[in-house]
Amino acid sequence: MNYVECFRALARRRTDEIVVTSAGNSGQAWWAVTRDSEATFYLDASMSLATMFASGLALARPELKVWAFMGDGAFCMNPGMLMVERQMNLPNLTHFLVSNRVYGATSNAGLPNFSHNDYASMARAMGLERVFAFGSIEALERDFPAVASANAAGHSFVVLEVEPFSAEEQKLEQPPFDGPELKYRFGRHVEARTNCDIFGYRL
Amino acid sequence: MSGATSDVGQRIAGELAACGVKLVATLPDNWLMDLIDTIDRDPRFVHVRVNREESAIGLCSGAYMGALGSAALMGASGFMTVIYAITKINYTYEIPLLLLVTLRGAVGDHHKHHISNGLYLRPVLEAIDMPYRIIERPEEIPQISRCYHHTRTFARPMAVLLTRDLLRGGHR
Repeated sequence: MNYVECFRALARRRTDEIVVTSAGNSGQAWWAVTRDSEATFYLDASMSLATMFASGLALARPELKVWAFMGDGAFCMNPGMLMVERQMNLPNLTHFLVSNRVYGATSNAGLPNFSHNDYASMARAMGLERVFAFGSIEALERDFPAVASANAAGHSFVVLEVEPFSAEEQKLEQPPFDGPELKYRFGRHVEARTNCDIFGYRL
Repeated sequence: MSGATSDVGQRIAGELAACGVKLVATLPDNWLMDLIDTIDRDPRFVHVRVNREESAIGLCSGAYMGALGSAALMGASGFMTVIYAITKINYTYEIPLLLLVTLRGAVGDHHKHHISNGLYLRPVLEAIDMPYRIIERPEEIPQISRCYHHTRTFARPMAVLLTRDLLRGGHR
C-alpha cells in the first residue's frame, strides 16, 4: 500500500493517542497527514530507539495511549528491542513497524535480506502475542478495530507493508522543529493532558 | 555478596530512590551485579533489563518525557557504544539522563581486556562535553543525588563513574 495513504488511514483512526515517529519517512509522512505539532514527538534519526523511547513514555504515563512508528531499516538495527517490549508488555503501547524493505531516509538504499525478513514471525518468536500485519488500505480500514481492542489488553505489534516513498514523496517536508522546541511543545502537551510535571515548573 | 558490597548497593539504591528515580534500566557488568540484584529486589524501582545499552538511553529518555525519574546502569564497554544515541537524543532535544557507569580499566581493574576503557572512557566523555563525577568511597555516594539534579538543571546527560574499590570493596 502507499506509505502516505496508509498513514492517512491511521490518522483517521487516531483518537487521542500520543505518537512517536522514527527518523526520515515516518516523520515526514505523519507530519504531512496530521501537521501535529503538540502530541507527536518526531524523534529524528535515533537509529532504532523510537519504540524504546515510546516504551519509557508509556511506562511513565499509563493513562496515555502511545503509538510508535519505526521503519524496518531502524528495526533491523536493533530487533532485540522486541524482547524488552515483550518483557514490559505495556498495554498502552502499539508498535507500528513500517516495512518498506529499504532504508527510506537514505534514498531507498537496499536493506539486508529484504525479501525474506518476516517481521511478524520474528515478533511471535520473541513471545509477542498481539501481532498484526496489514498489506492494503482496505484490510487496514476493515481490521484496525482489532488492533485498537487488543491495545486495551496488552502490547501490540503491527506490521504495515508499504511501498517505498516515490521520488516526489521523498521531497515531503521534514517536521520543522529544532530539538528543544519539540521537547517543550510535546512536554507541555503531556503535562496538560496528565497533570504531571516534566520540567520542574508548570506554565 | 559480601556485607560491605551489599551495603554499598543498598546505599546507592537508597540514593537513587531519594532523588526520585523510579525506572532503572540495566545491562550487566561483573562489578555491578550486587547493585543490579539490589535494585531488582527493591520495590521502589521498576527494573528493566534491556537488550543493549542504546535501548536504555531510549527508554530513560522517553520516561523523562513522561515525568518519570530514571537512571541507566551499565559497564564502561557498553557506554562506549552509546555515543550516537546520547548525542542524537539527549543533546539534540536537551533531555536529561543520569548514567551510572563502571570505571573500567582504572587502577584496581586487573582485566587486560579493559585497557581500552582505561585509555578512552574519560577522553570520550570529555570529547562530547559530558560531565562526570567519580565515586570511589561509600561516603561519596550522596553525590549521586547532586548529579541527578544537575542533569535536570543542565538538561543534558551526566555520568557517575563507579570504581572497583567502591563496588567490590577493593582488590582482593
